[in-house]
Amino acid sequence: MAMRFRTALMAGAFALVAGLAQAQSGPTLRVGMAAQDIGRIDPHFAVSTPDRVIVSWMFNGLVRFKPGSIDPAAIEPDLAQSWESSPDGKVWTFRLRPGVRFHGNFGELTADDVVFSLRKAANPQTSASSADFRAFDAIEAIDPLTVRITLRENVPSLLGLVTAYAGGYIVSRRAVEERGADFTRNPIGTGPFALDRVTPNQSAELVAHAAYFRGAPQIGRISYRFIPSDASRDLAFQARELDLNYGRADQAWVNRTRQLPNTVVDVFEPGELTVLNLNTSLPPFNDIRIRQAFAHAINRPEMVRWRGADVSREGQSLVPRGYLGFTAENGLLPFDLAKSRALLAEAGHPNGITIRAIHTQLPEMLSGMQVVQAQLRRAGITLDLQVVEHATFHQQIRQNLSPLVYYSAARFPVADIYLTQFFHGRSIVQTPTAVTNFSHCNNADAQIDAARVSTDPAAQLRLWHEAQRLLVTNVCGVPVIETLLVFARRDTLDYGYELRGSMSLGPLITETTRLR
Amino acid sequence: MLGFVLRRVAAALPTLLAVLTLVFLIVRVIPGDPALVILGDQATPEAAAALRGRLGLDRPLWTQYFDFVIAGMTGDFGRSMVTGRPIIEDVAAVLPHTLDLTLASMVLGIAIGVPAGIVAALNRNGVVDVAARLLSLLGLSFPVFVSGIFLLLAFSLHWRLFPVIGNADLSDPLDRLHKLVLPAATLGLVMAAYITRVTRSAMLQALGEDYIRTARAKGVPWRRVVWVHGLRNASIPVVTVVGLYVGILIGNSVLTEIVFNRPGLGKIIVGALNQRDYTMLQGLMVIYCFLIVVVNLITDLLYGVLDPRVKA
Repeated sequence: MAMRFRTALMAGAFALVAGLAQAQSGPTLRVGMAAQDIGRIDPHFAVSTPDRVIVSWMFNGLVRFKPGSIDPAAIEPDLAQSWESSPDGKVWTFRLRPGVRFHGNFGELTADDVVFSLRKAANPQTSASSADFRAFDAIEAIDPLTVRITLRENVPSLLGLVTAYAGGYIVSRRAVEERGADFTRNPIGTGPFALDRVTPNQSAELVAHAAYFRGAPQIGRISYRFIPSDASRDLAFQARELDLNYGRADQAWVNRTRQLPNTVVDVFEPGELTVLNLNTSLPPFNDIRIRQAFAHAINRPEMVRWRGADVSREGQSLVPRGYLGFTAENGLLPFDLAKSRALLAEAGHPNGITIRAIHTQLPEMLSGMQVVQAQLRRAGITLDLQVVEHATFHQQIRQNLSPLVYYSAARFPVADIYLTQFFHGRSIVQTPTAVTNFSHCNNADAQIDAARVSTDPAAQLRLWHEAQRLLVTNVCGVPVIETLLVFARRDTLDYGYELRGSMSLGPLITETTRLR
Repeated sequence: MLGFVLRRVAAALPTLLAVLTLVFLIVRVIPGDPALVILGDQATPEAAAALRGRLGLDRPLWTQYFDFVIAGMTGDFGRSMVTGRPIIEDVAAVLPHTLDLTLASMVLGIAIGVPAGIVAALNRNGVVDVAARLLSLLGLSFPVFVSGIFLLLAFSLHWRLFPVIGNADLSDPLDRLHKLVLPAATLGLVMAAYITRVTRSAMLQALGEDYIRTARAKGVPWRRVVWVHGLRNASIPVVTVVGLYVGILIGNSVLTEIVFNRPGLGKIIVGALNQRDYTMLQGLMVIYCFLIVVVNLITDLLYGVLDPRVKA
């Protein structure tokens, strides 16, 4: 028995060493990212696009979206190999895969790590996603490979919260406890790649995790390079110094890049929905006629032509398309300049109106707002833009200083999150529970709350649809455009799956990804 | 000489303290919340407040200021609010790149600018002078992000002589030199344009002085008149310009760093400002001020070498 154990141990060690050698001898994938530097790569604090992209290569969740997809219906096992829920949907039990190893010498994953990770994610002191876990009552380890989650109330998608995304990432308890504050720059996960080193302002280097539970990655290393200048990143890609390049959601860029030899441009979900949020609590938008006039002045097809048909599409509701609960049957006001002018006159502004708005100097957002400004001018609405630096913009719009807020966002693809954060009374800016409700609308709170805890999927959908109709009819915001994600890659880079979407906002690099 | 140095250093200390105080106040007066930058746009006020507490931003301003000044004096600048990395590590990682670029640009600027200025002055209004003035105007008119992109297109994309990504391996001198050529040329040519103009005008002024006429009347060879009597006296404004420009280059070569993907002090100052990374910004400013003081000190010492009356 002891002999067999030693033999197995030696064979395991040999396999590990062989796997390590094989993985590290694989090619290096060179990725160019529009970033000055990495931020926080503790996955529960990874909120910027560059941070989200890299943590998705290093961490797993209990479950995951099928690689290349953001369809909540296509969630599949990740660290959990199976799960079940109680009939009322309030108790969930997850059975973990045995033998999953953390990076380095941090041993095997146990239920204790999962409990620790989810509690960490639910704690505002240790996570940026704590608000998502409000409904969690208890997280317990039943045995070393079983975790039970008990909810106070139903949530629209429990699996969504424990997927490999935001607060759902599982970390090594021992690594967090040993490294303390350093964990945020030297994290340990179970994913296909482990952090090797970060060179500030230059790159993050990842190395293949040979003991990855799905098999050793075919890519040996990833060099994740921070190149903030679009022009320089494009030149580096053209000079073949990069294999994968963060692209621009701009038709001219896509057309130009597609003409490069041996280059593939990937355009994928999630679409970032731009909404013009109208503050219904302050003049002039406390008058619904002015809000309607504003909505009639927005020409969505023109916005799509400006951004590019390959990389954008019209916004159809106050929830992005494709999200669970989305409906286009919501009474959205069409582009109609005559109606817009008539409504303005009816509201006492026959000669037009001037609206002052704070906006960011971030080029892609500023150019979008300038197109909106030109459209509004045709209806007699003069948009007086006060352009401020981006961090200032974020602070000032949360201080209720702008009656109009141009905001683009993508969220977990379930209507509840978008509706709650942007249009629920609890999220109104400058309140203790504020998130990003700039419109001050709360007329759909009952529907949003009821849908969240509903156990009947049909009733849930009906409630979300009703909420959108109420919000759109009340013109709390005007959906404008949805902008998709764009990356360019060499045709020698094969992801190993078809890339149609990625919640990490960048392509997943998995054990199947290879450089031919 | 030692007394001169000590007097200069002592004079720099109040300046340093004033700059520290200004930096501390300015980064707190400008709008923008570091907690929001770190936690992202889905952060609740509760989470943001918790983070501000952890970062010490909820403490009274005077306590934060006192801690900052003490830290600045002891050289312990703490950690970046955003990345959690020790500031001194980040600075140490980029400073060699900044110094490489600054020194290389300076050497190139002087090597081209001083002879060009002298030759232009000696051929006043001649073809060479007009050409030098035109070229220097061109050098000053081209923003570095334009000239940099042109150089990349020609030398990196077309001829493939230099890489586009210029983050050199500091342990490899050849790699370091290779990746320095294009950015140093970009900045060095701008600096050369400045120096050409200053040298030309200083030389024209010096060559018109009485002592030059006297030297020539005494039969001193023309070459010696130009290089020893003329250039030495024309050097003071040139040294002033070089000193000022080097000071500017240390923190303001951010556009060159971005275009050539080089790490550098300027780039992290801009990054820290965008992210409202107070601790990083404060630490960087202290280090930047220190470097400026050193550059000014060297400039002052050079004045003393060139003109003994300055030491008096």
